[in-house]
Amino acid sequence: MAARCLFRSYSRVKNVDQNTRILVRCSRRMLCSVPSDSSSPDAHVKPQFMDAEVQDILTRIAGLDLEKVFRPIKQELKPPTYKLMTDAQLEEAIQSAREQAQRLLKMPPVLPERKPINDVLSEDKILEGMDTAKYVFTDITFNIPHRERFIVIREPTGTLRKASWEERDRILQVYFPKGARRLTAPPVFQEESLKVVFGQDRHEDVLDLCQVQFEPDSSEYIRVHAATYEDLEKMGKYDLLRSTRHFGGLVWYLVNARRVDGLIIDMLQEDLLQDAVSLVGLFNKVHPNSEIAQEASSQQASGLDLLKIYAKRESQRAGYIELALQAYEQTSAESSV
Amino acid sequence: MVRLSSFLLKTYHGGHIVIRLAMAGHKQSNRPFYRVVAAYNKRARDSKYIEQLGSYDPLPNIYNEKLVSFNSDRIKYWMGCGAHPTKPVAKLLGLAGFFPLHPMTVTEAERRRALVELAEGAAPEEVDKQQEL
Repeated sequence: MAARCLFRSYSRVKNVDQNTRILVRCSRRMLCSVPSDSSSPDAHVKPQFMDAEVQDILTRIAGLDLEKVFRPIKQELKPPTYKLMTDAQLEEAIQSAREQAQRLLKMPPVLPERKPINDVLSEDKILEGMDTAKYVFTDITFNIPHRERFIVIREPTGTLRKASWEERDRILQVYFPKGARRLTAPPVFQEESLKVVFGQDRHEDVLDLCQVQFEPDSSEYIRVHAATYEDLEKMGKYDLLRSTRHFGGLVWYLVNARRVDGLIIDMLQEDLLQDAVSLVGLFNKVHPNSEIAQEASSQQASGLDLLKIYAKRESQRAGYIELALQAYEQTSAESSV
Repeated sequence: MVRLSSFLLKTYHGGHIVIRLAMAGHKQSNRPFYRVVAAYNKRARDSKYIEQLGSYDPLPNIYNEKLVSFNSDRIKYWMGCGAHPTKPVAKLLGLAGFFPLHPMTVTEAERRRALVELAEGAAPEEVDKQQEL
Protein backbone atom coordinates (compact mmCIF):
# COMPACT_ATOMS: atom_id res chain seq x y z
CA MET A 1 0.00 0.00 0.00
CA ALA A 2 2.76 2.40 0.97
CA ALA A 3 4.71 1.48 -2.15
CA ARG A 4 1.75 2.26 -4.44
CA CYS A 5 1.23 5.68 -2.86
CA LEU A 6 4.87 6.48 -3.47
CA PHE A 7 4.77 5.49 -7.11
CA ARG A 8 1.67 7.56 -7.88
CA SER A 9 3.62 10.80 -7.46
CA TYR A 10 4.60 11.95 -10.93
CA SER A 11 6.96 14.69 -9.89
CA ARG A 12 9.69 12.20 -10.20
CA VAL A 13 12.69 14.49 -10.53
CA LYS A 14 11.93 15.91 -7.10
CA ASN A 15 10.92 12.76 -5.35
CA VAL A 16 12.92 9.98 -6.94
CA ASP A 17 15.57 10.01 -4.22
CA GLN A 18 13.00 10.00 -1.44
CA ASN A 19 10.98 7.23 -3.07
CA THR A 20 13.93 4.93 -3.54
CA ARG A 21 15.28 5.61 -0.09
CA ILE A 22 11.92 4.88 1.54
CA LEU A 23 11.49 1.78 -0.66
CA VAL A 24 14.96 0.58 0.33
CA ARG A 25 14.28 1.21 4.00
CA CYS A 26 10.88 -0.55 3.95
CA SER A 27 12.19 -3.55 2.09
CA ARG A 28 15.32 -3.76 4.15
CA ARG A 29 13.19 -3.90 7.27
CA MET A 30 10.95 -6.56 5.68
CA LEU A 31 13.93 -8.62 4.60
CA CYS A 32 15.71 -8.41 7.94
CA SER A 33 12.77 -9.15 10.24
CA VAL A 34 13.12 -12.78 11.36
CA PRO A 35 10.46 -13.88 13.84
CA SER A 36 12.18 -15.04 17.00
CA ASP A 37 10.59 -18.27 18.19
CA SER A 38 10.18 -17.73 21.90
CA SER A 39 6.98 -19.73 21.97
CA SER A 40 8.40 -22.88 23.62
CA PRO A 41 7.03 -23.16 27.15
CA ASP A 42 10.00 -24.95 28.74
CA ALA A 43 12.82 -22.83 30.03
CA HIS A 44 15.83 -24.41 28.31
CA VAL A 45 17.13 -23.05 25.01
CA LYS A 46 17.94 -25.80 22.51
CA PRO A 47 21.68 -25.76 21.81
CA GLN A 48 22.31 -24.54 18.28
CA PHE A 49 24.96 -25.76 15.88
CA MET A 50 27.02 -22.59 16.25
CA ASP A 51 27.26 -22.60 20.09
CA ALA A 52 30.84 -22.51 21.34
CA GLU A 53 30.53 -25.69 23.44
CA VAL A 54 28.88 -27.65 20.63
CA GLN A 55 31.50 -26.53 18.12
CA ASP A 56 34.24 -27.44 20.61
CA ILE A 57 32.91 -30.97 21.07
CA LEU A 58 32.42 -31.43 17.33
CA THR A 59 35.94 -30.25 16.44
CA ARG A 60 37.41 -32.60 19.00
CA ILE A 61 35.43 -35.55 17.66
CA ALA A 62 36.26 -34.73 14.04
CA GLY A 63 39.94 -35.38 14.62
CA LEU A 64 42.95 -33.78 13.00
CA ASP A 65 44.68 -36.30 10.78
CA LEU A 66 47.31 -34.19 9.00
CA GLU A 67 48.02 -36.90 6.44
CA LYS A 68 44.40 -36.95 5.33
CA VAL A 69 43.81 -33.18 5.39
CA PHE A 70 46.81 -32.42 3.21
CA ARG A 71 46.54 -35.38 0.91
CA PRO A 72 47.10 -34.42 -2.74
CA ILE A 73 44.04 -32.68 -4.22
CA LYS A 74 43.64 -32.29 -7.93
CA GLN A 75 45.52 -29.13 -8.82
CA GLU A 76 47.89 -28.19 -11.59
CA LEU A 77 51.22 -29.98 -11.48
CA LYS A 78 54.09 -28.08 -9.95
CA PRO A 79 57.52 -29.62 -9.33
CA PRO A 80 57.98 -30.20 -5.58
CA THR A 81 60.10 -27.76 -3.56
CA TYR A 82 62.68 -29.06 -1.10
CA LYS A 83 63.82 -27.05 1.91
CA LEU A 84 66.71 -27.69 4.29
CA MET A 85 65.58 -27.12 7.88
CA THR A 86 66.84 -27.56 11.40
CA ASP A 87 64.74 -29.50 13.90
CA ALA A 88 63.34 -26.30 15.42
CA GLN A 89 62.28 -24.99 12.01
CA LEU A 90 60.67 -28.35 11.28
CA GLU A 91 58.67 -28.05 14.50
CA GLU A 92 57.55 -24.57 13.49
CA ALA A 93 56.57 -25.78 10.03
CA ILE A 94 54.52 -28.62 11.53
CA GLN A 95 52.86 -26.15 13.91
CA SER A 96 51.88 -23.78 11.10
CA ALA A 97 50.65 -26.78 9.10
CA ARG A 98 48.47 -27.71 12.07
CA GLU A 99 47.00 -24.22 12.22
CA GLN A 100 46.28 -24.25 8.51
CA ALA A 101 44.63 -27.66 8.88
CA GLN A 102 42.41 -26.21 11.58
CA ARG A 103 41.40 -23.39 9.29
CA LEU A 104 40.70 -25.86 6.47
CA LEU A 105 38.60 -27.90 8.86
CA LYS A 106 36.29 -24.98 9.68
CA MET A 107 32.80 -26.42 9.64
CA PRO A 108 30.28 -25.17 7.11
CA PRO A 109 27.16 -23.81 8.85
CA VAL A 110 24.06 -25.89 9.39
CA LEU A 111 21.04 -23.63 8.97
CA PRO A 112 17.30 -24.29 8.98
CA GLU A 113 15.70 -24.36 5.56
CA ARG A 114 14.93 -20.92 4.16
CA LYS A 115 11.32 -19.87 3.86
CA PRO A 116 10.14 -19.19 0.29
CA ILE A 117 9.70 -15.55 -0.77
CA ASN A 118 6.18 -14.74 -1.90
CA ASP A 119 6.30 -10.98 -1.84
CA VAL A 120 4.28 -9.07 -4.42
CA LEU A 121 5.34 -5.44 -4.64
CA SER A 122 2.57 -4.21 -6.95
CA GLU A 123 -0.27 -5.57 -9.08
CA ASP A 124 -0.83 -3.54 -12.22
CA LYS A 125 -3.70 -5.00 -14.23
CA ILE A 126 -3.39 -2.17 -16.78
CA LEU A 127 -0.06 -3.62 -17.93
CA GLU A 128 -1.45 -7.03 -18.80
CA GLY A 129 -0.26 -8.35 -22.15
CA MET A 130 2.53 -5.79 -22.52
CA ASP A 131 5.12 -8.43 -23.39
CA THR A 132 5.49 -12.18 -23.71
CA ALA A 133 8.64 -12.42 -21.57
CA LYS A 134 9.32 -11.60 -17.93
CA TYR A 135 11.61 -8.72 -17.04
CA VAL A 136 14.13 -9.43 -14.28
CA PHE A 137 15.53 -6.30 -12.65
CA THR A 138 18.66 -6.59 -10.53
CA ASP A 139 20.24 -3.89 -8.47
CA ILE A 140 23.98 -4.10 -9.06
CA THR A 141 25.10 -1.58 -6.44
CA PHE A 142 28.42 -2.78 -5.19
CA ASN A 143 28.26 -2.45 -1.44
CA ILE A 144 25.10 -4.36 -0.57
CA PRO A 145 25.32 -7.93 0.78
CA HIS A 146 23.75 -10.40 -1.63
CA ARG A 147 20.98 -11.34 0.80
CA GLU A 148 19.64 -7.77 0.82
CA ARG A 149 19.95 -7.11 -2.90
CA PHE A 150 16.84 -6.22 -4.88
CA ILE A 151 15.91 -8.74 -7.55
CA VAL A 152 12.38 -8.09 -8.78
CA ILE A 153 10.47 -9.66 -11.65
CA ARG A 154 7.77 -8.01 -13.75
CA GLU A 155 5.51 -10.75 -15.12
CA PRO A 156 3.62 -10.40 -18.44
CA THR A 157 0.45 -10.17 -16.36
CA GLY A 158 1.74 -6.96 -14.83
CA THR A 159 2.56 -8.10 -11.28
CA LEU A 160 5.82 -6.90 -9.83
CA ARG A 161 7.10 -9.56 -7.45
CA LYS A 162 10.34 -10.39 -5.67
CA ALA A 163 12.36 -13.22 -7.19
CA SER A 164 12.24 -16.62 -5.50
CA TRP A 165 15.35 -18.06 -3.86
CA GLU A 166 16.31 -20.28 -6.81
CA GLU A 167 15.92 -17.38 -9.26
CA ARG A 168 17.96 -15.18 -6.93
CA ASP A 169 20.81 -17.70 -6.79
CA ARG A 170 20.87 -18.03 -10.57
CA ILE A 171 20.80 -14.28 -11.26
CA LEU A 172 23.39 -13.47 -8.62
CA GLN A 173 25.61 -16.04 -10.30
CA VAL A 174 25.11 -14.20 -13.62
CA TYR A 175 26.05 -10.77 -12.32
CA PHE A 176 28.40 -11.72 -9.48
CA PRO A 177 29.91 -15.05 -10.49
CA LYS A 178 31.40 -17.12 -7.71
CA GLY A 179 34.38 -19.32 -8.56
CA ALA A 180 33.33 -22.81 -9.46
CA ARG A 181 29.58 -22.31 -9.08
CA ARG A 182 27.55 -23.17 -12.18
CA LEU A 183 24.32 -21.60 -13.40
CA THR A 184 22.44 -24.91 -13.44
CA ALA A 185 23.13 -27.59 -10.84
CA PRO A 186 25.36 -30.41 -12.12
CA PRO A 187 23.42 -33.67 -12.68
CA VAL A 188 25.39 -35.37 -9.86
CA PHE A 189 22.78 -34.15 -7.40
CA GLN A 190 19.92 -36.21 -8.80
CA GLU A 191 18.90 -39.31 -6.88
CA GLU A 192 20.26 -41.97 -9.24
CA SER A 193 23.60 -40.22 -9.75
CA LEU A 194 23.97 -39.80 -5.99
CA LYS A 195 23.57 -43.56 -5.54
CA VAL A 196 26.26 -44.23 -8.14
CA VAL A 197 28.66 -41.81 -6.47
CA PHE A 198 28.00 -43.29 -3.03
CA GLY A 199 28.81 -46.69 -4.45
CA GLN A 200 32.20 -45.28 -5.42
CA ASP A 201 32.78 -43.99 -1.85
CA ARG A 202 33.05 -40.34 -2.96
CA HIS A 203 30.82 -38.78 -0.32
CA GLU A 204 33.36 -36.12 0.47
CA ASP A 205 33.57 -34.92 -3.15
CA VAL A 206 29.79 -34.73 -3.35
CA LEU A 207 29.66 -32.67 -0.17
CA ASP A 208 32.40 -30.32 -1.40
CA LEU A 209 30.59 -29.84 -4.70
CA CYS A 210 27.34 -29.21 -2.86
CA GLN A 211 29.12 -26.64 -0.68
CA VAL A 212 30.30 -24.76 -3.77
CA GLN A 213 27.05 -24.94 -5.70
CA PHE A 214 24.27 -24.25 -3.20
CA GLU A 215 23.60 -21.81 -0.38
CA PRO A 216 23.70 -23.42 3.10
CA ASP A 217 20.02 -22.82 3.78
CA SER A 218 18.65 -23.90 0.40
CA SER A 219 16.46 -26.99 0.18
CA GLU A 220 18.81 -28.64 -2.34
CA TYR A 221 21.77 -28.34 0.02
CA ILE A 222 19.84 -29.83 2.94
CA ARG A 223 18.45 -32.64 0.77
CA VAL A 224 21.88 -33.63 -0.60
CA HIS A 225 23.47 -33.51 2.83
CA ALA A 226 20.67 -35.59 4.37
CA ALA A 227 21.00 -38.19 1.60
CA THR A 228 24.78 -38.37 2.10
CA TYR A 229 24.53 -38.73 5.87
CA GLU A 230 21.82 -41.40 5.57
CA ASP A 231 23.95 -43.43 3.19
CA LEU A 232 27.01 -43.11 5.42
CA GLU A 233 25.05 -44.22 8.43
CA LYS A 234 23.52 -47.16 6.58
CA MET A 235 26.92 -48.37 5.34
CA GLY A 236 28.76 -47.48 8.52
CA LYS A 237 31.52 -45.70 6.59
CA TYR A 238 32.09 -42.90 9.09
CA ASP A 239 35.78 -43.05 8.50
CA LEU A 240 35.42 -41.43 5.07
CA LEU A 241 34.55 -38.10 6.65
CA ARG A 242 36.61 -38.46 9.79
CA SER A 243 39.24 -35.74 9.38
CA THR A 244 37.31 -33.49 7.01
CA ARG A 245 35.21 -30.43 7.70
CA HIS A 246 31.95 -32.28 7.06
CA PHE A 247 32.26 -34.54 10.09
CA GLY A 248 30.71 -32.02 12.46
CA GLY A 249 27.65 -31.75 10.24
CA LEU A 250 27.33 -35.55 10.14
CA VAL A 251 27.52 -35.82 13.94
CA TRP A 252 24.99 -33.00 14.39
CA TYR A 253 22.54 -34.68 11.99
CA LEU A 254 22.84 -38.05 13.74
CA VAL A 255 22.49 -36.54 17.20
CA ASN A 256 19.35 -34.67 16.16
CA ALA A 257 17.94 -37.86 14.68
CA ARG A 258 18.96 -39.83 17.83
CA ARG A 259 20.75 -42.53 15.85
CA VAL A 260 24.24 -42.40 17.29
CA ASP A 261 24.65 -46.17 17.78
CA GLY A 262 26.64 -46.92 14.67
CA LEU A 263 28.96 -43.98 15.27
CA ILE A 264 29.68 -44.96 18.88
CA ILE A 265 30.45 -48.54 17.88
CA ASP A 266 32.72 -47.30 15.12
CA MET A 267 34.58 -45.09 17.61
CA LEU A 268 34.99 -47.99 20.05
CA GLN A 269 36.37 -50.14 17.25
CA GLU A 270 38.96 -47.47 16.54
CA ASP A 271 39.73 -47.09 20.28
CA LEU A 272 38.56 -43.47 20.44
CA LEU A 273 36.90 -43.66 23.84
CA GLN A 274 37.28 -40.00 24.71
CA ASP A 275 35.50 -39.09 21.50
CA ALA A 276 32.68 -41.51 22.32
CA VAL A 277 32.35 -39.96 25.77
CA SER A 278 32.17 -36.42 24.38
CA LEU A 279 29.62 -37.62 21.84
CA VAL A 280 27.34 -38.91 24.60
CA GLY A 281 27.88 -35.63 26.45
CA LEU A 282 26.76 -33.71 23.34
CA PHE A 283 23.74 -35.98 23.03
CA ASN A 284 22.79 -35.17 26.62
CA LYS A 285 23.11 -31.45 25.96
CA VAL A 286 20.93 -31.53 22.86
CA HIS A 287 18.26 -33.83 24.30
CA PRO A 288 18.15 -32.95 28.00
CA ASN A 289 14.73 -34.56 28.41
CA SER A 290 15.89 -38.04 27.42
CA GLU A 291 16.43 -40.83 29.97
CA ILE A 292 20.21 -40.84 29.58
CA ALA A 293 20.54 -37.17 30.30
CA GLN A 294 18.38 -37.34 33.39
CA GLU A 295 20.24 -40.35 34.75
CA ALA A 296 23.60 -38.80 34.00
CA SER A 297 22.70 -35.56 35.74
CA SER A 298 21.28 -37.43 38.73
CA GLN A 299 24.40 -39.59 39.12
CA GLN A 300 26.85 -36.86 38.04
CA ALA A 301 28.41 -39.45 35.75
CA SER A 302 31.40 -38.76 33.54
CA GLY A 303 33.77 -40.71 31.39
CA LEU A 304 33.09 -44.41 30.98
CA ASP A 305 29.98 -44.27 33.22
CA LEU A 306 28.28 -42.11 30.60
CA LEU A 307 28.95 -44.80 28.02
CA LYS A 308 27.58 -47.48 30.35
CA ILE A 309 24.39 -45.51 30.94
CA TYR A 310 24.04 -44.97 27.20
CA ALA A 311 24.58 -48.67 26.53
CA LYS A 312 21.93 -49.61 29.09
CA ARG A 313 19.25 -47.15 28.06
CA GLU A 314 19.25 -45.92 24.54
CA SER A 315 21.26 -48.15 22.25
CA GLN A 316 19.91 -51.15 20.36
CA ARG A 317 23.26 -52.89 20.26
CA ALA A 318 23.98 -52.70 23.97
CA GLY A 319 25.90 -55.96 24.15
CA TYR A 320 28.65 -54.83 21.84
CA ILE A 321 29.21 -51.55 23.68
CA GLU A 322 29.42 -53.28 27.04
CA LEU A 323 31.89 -55.84 25.71
CA ALA A 324 34.07 -53.11 24.28
CA LEU A 325 33.98 -51.17 27.55
CA GLN A 326 34.98 -54.28 29.51
CA ALA A 327 37.86 -54.93 27.13
CA TYR A 328 39.04 -51.32 27.53
CA GLU A 329 38.88 -51.56 31.31
CA GLN A 330 40.85 -54.79 31.26
CA THR A 331 43.59 -53.34 29.07
CA SER A 332 43.82 -50.17 31.16
CA ALA A 333 44.00 -52.28 34.34
CA GLU A 334 46.77 -54.44 32.86
CA SER A 335 48.74 -51.43 31.61
CA SER A 336 48.48 -49.68 34.99
CA VAL A 337 49.54 -52.89 36.76
CA MET B 1 12.32 22.45 -23.21
CA VAL B 2 14.02 23.69 -20.08
CA ARG B 3 17.37 21.96 -19.71
CA LEU B 4 18.24 21.79 -16.05
CA SER B 5 21.92 21.27 -15.59
CA SER B 6 23.59 21.42 -12.25
CA PHE B 7 26.59 23.49 -11.44
CA LEU B 8 28.74 20.38 -11.45
CA LEU B 9 28.22 19.79 -15.16
CA LYS B 10 29.11 23.26 -16.39
CA THR B 11 32.62 22.08 -17.30
CA TYR B 12 31.36 20.69 -20.61
CA HIS B 13 30.59 22.66 -23.72
CA GLY B 14 26.86 23.22 -23.36
CA GLY B 15 25.42 19.76 -23.77
CA HIS B 16 23.85 17.89 -20.89
CA ILE B 17 24.20 14.41 -19.50
CA VAL B 18 21.73 11.71 -20.39
CA ILE B 19 21.15 8.20 -19.10
CA ARG B 20 20.46 6.15 -22.21
CA LEU B 21 20.88 2.74 -23.80
CA ALA B 22 24.02 2.23 -25.85
CA MET B 23 24.45 -0.84 -28.04
CA ALA B 24 27.32 -2.99 -26.86
CA GLY B 25 29.07 -5.68 -28.86
CA HIS B 26 29.55 -5.33 -32.61
CA LYS B 27 26.95 -4.33 -35.16
CA GLN B 28 27.71 -7.30 -37.40
CA SER B 29 26.52 -9.90 -34.92
CA ASN B 30 22.68 -9.66 -35.25
CA ARG B 31 22.41 -9.99 -31.51
CA PRO B 32 21.57 -6.74 -29.74
CA PHE B 33 22.70 -6.06 -26.19
CA TYR B 34 22.37 -2.66 -24.54
CA ARG B 35 24.24 -0.96 -21.75
CA VAL B 36 22.53 1.59 -19.53
CA VAL B 37 25.03 4.41 -19.68
CA ALA B 38 25.54 7.98 -18.47
CA ALA B 39 26.94 9.95 -21.42
CA TYR B 40 26.98 13.45 -22.86
CA ASN B 41 24.05 14.19 -25.09
CA LYS B 42 25.99 15.15 -28.21
CA ARG B 43 28.18 12.02 -28.32
CA ALA B 44 27.47 9.16 -30.70
CA ARG B 45 25.25 6.45 -29.24
CA ASP B 46 27.95 3.81 -28.85
CA SER B 47 31.02 5.95 -28.33
CA LYS B 48 32.78 7.05 -25.18
CA TYR B 49 30.48 7.30 -22.16
CA ILE B 50 31.06 8.65 -18.68
CA GLU B 51 29.97 5.63 -16.66
CA GLN B 52 28.14 2.38 -17.24
CA LEU B 53 25.15 2.06 -14.95
CA GLY B 54 23.73 -1.31 -15.99
CA SER B 55 22.74 -3.55 -18.85
CA TYR B 56 19.66 -4.67 -20.78
CA ASP B 57 19.35 -7.85 -22.79
CA PRO B 58 16.34 -7.58 -25.13
CA LEU B 59 16.32 -11.26 -26.14
CA PRO B 60 14.69 -13.60 -23.60
CA ASN B 61 16.75 -16.51 -22.23
CA ILE B 62 15.77 -20.17 -21.77
CA TYR B 63 13.66 -19.25 -18.74
CA ASN B 64 11.84 -16.61 -20.84
CA GLU B 65 13.37 -13.75 -18.88
CA LYS B 66 14.83 -10.48 -20.16
CA LEU B 67 17.67 -9.58 -17.80
CA VAL B 68 17.99 -5.95 -16.82
CA SER B 69 20.47 -4.67 -14.28
CA PHE B 70 20.94 -1.15 -12.96
CA ASN B 71 23.18 0.39 -10.34
CA SER B 72 20.59 2.28 -8.32
CA ASP B 73 23.20 4.08 -6.25
CA ARG B 74 24.93 5.66 -9.24
CA ILE B 75 21.69 6.35 -11.10
CA LYS B 76 20.54 8.34 -8.09
CA TYR B 77 23.83 10.22 -8.15
CA TRP B 78 23.60 11.16 -11.82
CA MET B 79 19.93 12.08 -11.52
CA GLY B 80 20.97 14.26 -8.64
CA CYS B 81 23.60 15.88 -10.85
CA GLY B 82 20.91 16.71 -13.40
CA ALA B 83 21.08 13.88 -15.92
CA HIS B 84 17.99 13.17 -18.03
CA PRO B 85 16.87 9.60 -18.67
CA THR B 86 15.67 8.84 -22.19
CA LYS B 87 12.29 7.32 -22.94
CA PRO B 88 13.36 3.64 -23.11
CA VAL B 89 15.40 3.96 -19.91
CA ALA B 90 12.49 5.67 -18.19
CA LYS B 91 10.16 2.88 -19.34
CA LEU B 92 12.50 0.16 -18.08
CA LEU B 93 12.99 1.83 -14.72
CA GLY B 94 9.24 2.39 -14.47
CA LEU B 95 8.64 -1.30 -15.05
CA ALA B 96 11.23 -2.06 -12.37
CA GLY B 97 9.47 0.08 -9.82
CA PHE B 98 12.41 2.43 -9.46
CA PHE B 99 10.51 5.24 -11.23
CA PRO B 100 6.76 5.56 -11.37
CA LEU B 101 5.18 3.80 -14.37
CA HIS B 102 5.71 5.53 -17.71
CA PRO B 103 2.39 6.42 -19.37
CA MET B 104 3.58 5.04 -22.73
CA THR B 105 4.02 1.60 -21.17
CA VAL B 106 0.33 1.59 -20.31
CA THR B 107 -0.59 2.86 -23.79
CA GLU B 108 1.54 0.18 -25.45
CA ALA B 109 -0.04 -2.54 -23.34
CA GLU B 110 -3.52 -1.29 -24.30
CA ARG B 111 -2.57 -1.16 -27.98
CA ARG B 112 -1.21 -4.71 -27.86
CA ARG B 113 -4.34 -6.00 -26.22
CA ALA B 114 -6.44 -4.29 -28.90
CA LEU B 115 -4.31 -5.95 -31.60
CA VAL B 116 -4.71 -9.35 -29.96
CA GLU B 117 -8.45 -8.90 -29.78
CA LEU B 118 -8.56 -7.87 -33.42
CA ALA B 119 -6.58 -10.95 -34.39
CA GLU B 120 -8.89 -13.20 -32.37
CA GLY B 121 -11.91 -11.49 -33.87
CA ALA B 122 -10.48 -11.98 -37.39
CA ALA B 123 -9.42 -15.65 -36.92
CA PRO B 124 -12.87 -17.10 -35.99
CA GLU B 125 -14.37 -15.16 -38.91
CA GLU B 126 -11.84 -16.72 -41.30
CA VAL B 127 -12.53 -20.18 -39.92
CA ASP B 128 -16.29 -19.63 -40.43
CA LYS B 129 -15.74 -18.43 -44.00
CA GLN B 130 -13.61 -21.48 -44.86
CA GLN B 131 -16.24 -23.78 -43.40
CA GLU B 132 -18.95 -22.08 -45.50
CA LEU B 133 -16.79 -22.46 -48.62
